[in-house]
Amino acid sequence: MNIVVAMKQIPDLQQVRIKNRKPILDDVPLTFGNIDRNALEAAVLIKEQVGGSVTVVAAGKEGLEDTVKEALAAGADQAYLIICNEQEDIESSISAKLLAEAIKQLGSVDLVLFGEGSGDNYSSQVGSRVAELLDLPQVGYVERIELTAGELVVTRSLEDGKEVVQVALPAVLTVVTDLNQPRIPSVTQILKAGRKPKKVMSDQELLGAVPTPKVKTLSNLAPEIKRKQIQVGTAVELVEKLQAEGFLGRA
Amino acid sequence: MDFTLSSEQLLVQRMAKDYAEQYIQPLAEQIESENEVPKDILEGLAELDLFGMPMPEAYGGAEAGYDTYVVALEQIAKVSCGSAMIISAHTLGLGAINNFGTEEQKQKYMPRCCRGEHIASFAFTEPGTGSDPKQITTTAVRDGSHFVINGTKRFISNGTHPGPMVLFARDQENGKITAFIVEKFGEGYSVSKPWEKLGWHGGDLVDVYLKDVRVPAENVLGERGSGYPILQYGIAFGKIGMNAIALGTLLAAYEEAVTYAKEKTHRGEPIAKFQTIQLRVADIAMKYEASRWIAYRLGCLANQTKDYADFAREAAMAKVIVAENAFWGTRIALDIHGSYGLMADYKISRLYRDAVMGAQIEGVIDMQKVIVAGSILFK
Repeated sequence: MNIVVAMKQIPDLQQVRIKNRKPILDDVPLTFGNIDRNALEAAVLIKEQVGGSVTVVAAGKEGLEDTVKEALAAGADQAYLIICNEQEDIESSISAKLLAEAIKQLGSVDLVLFGEGSGDNYSSQVGSRVAELLDLPQVGYVERIELTAGELVVTRSLEDGKEVVQVALPAVLTVVTDLNQPRIPSVTQILKAGRKPKKVMSDQELLGAVPTPKVKTLSNLAPEIKRKQIQVGTAVELVEKLQAEGFLGRA
Repeated sequence: MDFTLSSEQLLVQRMAKDYAEQYIQPLAEQIESENEVPKDILEGLAELDLFGMPMPEAYGGAEAGYDTYVVALEQIAKVSCGSAMIISAHTLGLGAINNFGTEEQKQKYMPRCCRGEHIASFAFTEPGTGSDPKQITTTAVRDGSHFVINGTKRFISNGTHPGPMVLFARDQENGKITAFIVEKFGEGYSVSKPWEKLGWHGGDLVDVYLKDVRVPAENVLGERGSGYPILQYGIAFGKIGMNAIALGTLLAAYEEAVTYAKEKTHRGEPIAKFQTIQLRVADIAMKYEASRWIAYRLGCLANQTKDYADFAREAAMAKVIVAENAFWGTRIALDIHGSYGLMADYKISRLYRDAVMGAQIEGVIDMQKVIVAGSILFK
């Protein structure tokens, strides 16, 4: 089975500091988001089960060739990289066009996996947009994947329950973190990742003319958090307050 | 000169950090109280190739270099010095076989060690000697195609794990020190119960008793009577891992100090607002930053060195600086915690016990200074 995993290069969120409610991104290393790692792990598990190959497709900035080593170490066989040096942040619609075009160029693809949303702005648009551009069925919020003959049985994690659906291949799935526990690559896998095949293109080479972004981020501020400064006199009162705040039992 | 980690080293660093935080951290208290690293953890570390990191691919290693090894071991030690100690002592014994072994010896012992199925040891110290090879009393007597070894070795890491032990004994024919590869748990091999160390819990340290242990003559490591260069190698290379462990402790103490300074309040303000606390945090940060580059550099030198005497001097200097910085940095972090730092409930108290270890293990600080002075004054 030929599986594509779309992964987004984002700042390492553990190293982002907030100053005056704004994220400080200077010198923050770039990595892939946690949900993207779940999508990759799902792809590698399927490959290990039925054979085939896993291709990572990613659009990002300079340094993407280094970032993708992480995915190649964790089981991807090859990578298709789109370098977008002209834009600070790639708008979802443009990102989807780039990824869809790259996937078309890969030829026969049976399954395309996305994280449900990216780790940075979580627009949750790109998977659906790519499915539309490729004219493929799409299932979202996937927490379980079972492979049957030429089809998938997929469990969706919804707010108030679970939905099980059957989907014909090829298809696009967007997955949630409950799907699996991504593997930690070994030293040898990391050292050999750089030797795996990579195709690198610029966004202009891929699309010809890159569309002009139509959505502009005006501000990106962290919410203000104030200590509640709740005072308690007794242990019983403390338990009551914690329950009321939803930290103990059910509020 | 490029003081940056490669993209591969950054990934290895994160791999080790992720494993330590996800799998070792939840068991840290258990390791501390039971003084034993669970088998599952050792198997997990082996799956990540951490038991053969600097060893050649041809013998099952990852061939990642000693510099990358330090970067990884630091992250393991940050969570569990005992786990890191097992890898460090193992890498020392295995490295001796890699450097001085015959092709047959390497093929026989290294692949299983690199896979973590066997864990290596390095046995020099005896009850009557720490750093002086002239005082070695363990004897080796040739008996046909074998040597018969008798004696006691003290403070031996990984003595309770099956695998090869590089052991030094006095050859009774020529009176010289010879190194042997002894398979642990053969007939005549026994160990004491583990020493209850101040820190680095989980890394076993035992006395090894050798009573008429028969070792095939082909298990002589290097030339018969030429054990000293192997010992010199071990004394120097062992410090690579020791530095990584000390560095991991210091990094953990640094993070604990920063977290505590931001969370602990006095009169409604975090204590980080006070300059006395700020100066202490700066001191820890500077000690860590200086130490990490010295520890990484020693790893780089180890990748290239052929002159073990020269490397021994570099290793001695690095050990003194890193171990002392780790100790004093951790001590300052404990001071930031005030009285709470003395309580077992606070992680910093365990880190302080761990930080004491680095200065004493693998050659005490004073002995390192003697090595450095000797290389300057009497070369």
